[in-house]
Amino acid sequence: MSSGHQQVTSNINSFNNIVNFVTEIDAEGHQILQWLSALEPQQRHQGVRTNRLNGVGNWVLETSEFRTWRDADDGCVDPVLFCYGNPGVGKTYVR
Amino acid sequence: MVIDSLCDQAGEKDIAVVGLYCDFHAQEEQSTANVLGAMLKQFASRGGTGEHIREAFRKAKKEFGGRGLLPPDMIDIMKKAIAPLPRVFICIDALDECTARHRRELLESIREIVRVSPNTRVFLTGRPHIDHEIVKCFIKAVRIPISPTCTDIKSYLEMRLNGDTDPNAMDGELQTDIIRIILEGISER
Repeated sequence: MSSGHQQVTSNINSFNNIVNFVTEIDAEGHQILQWLSALEPQQRHQGVRTNRLNGVGNWVLETSEFRTWRDADDGCVDPVLFCYGNPGVGKTYVR
Repeated sequence: MVIDSLCDQAGEKDIAVVGLYCDFHAQEEQSTANVLGAMLKQFASRGGTGEHIREAFRKAKKEFGGRGLLPPDMIDIMKKAIAPLPRVFICIDALDECTARHRRELLESIREIVRVSPNTRVFLTGRPHIDHEIVKCFIKAVRIPISPTCTDIKSYLEMRLNGDTDPNAMDGELQTDIIRIILEGISER
């Protein structure tokens, strides 16, 4: 009974913490995000995702260069992968 | 595609993927501070790093009626945001579209971040002429040349032809011919 009670109290506490956290973000969050940067890259990303034809460029994900870059342990691979090509070849859609 | 595939794979693991696009038409807005700020925003909105950023915001608000962060401060916060995560992917598209000065500053910022945070992976795209700038900054960077494969071109052509708003102008034979001739033209180059 006592441990059940503690559990309920603890649940209520964590719920309150979550509520506090969310209110705090609401109050200050917008200001902070705007203060950090006016850029909204997620909008462009959504546009690119929508226009992308499924399957095109997937070969990049299959290259050993990409897989090693993504999966290798830290320090075993150079952290930078650069995909280059002329205008219109599809770099943006690959990204 | 890389961002989406990394995001899908990250799933519930505590992996962050942040990304942005450079745009020739928005060179002024894409100052190093704004670009780094946009990355911080993505860290901020996934939670976990809120405290560092909020602290900096409250401090800045008191000073000079609300100062902005400078790139070195942003890099510091970013390092703190990256440290507790097993892996962070930073993806930046069309680096050639920002000004040469911003690009140099941005590459130097990234170099500083990966120097301190080995759990970071950076994915960049750009035209071939900036290759030497990348190599200068990251001597051992892995580079992949991008050009569409025949399969890519074929599926793109099929999609466009199937989307023809005047279906009477096209028949199966003509469609096959169009695709064949374009693909032949490509392989001759």
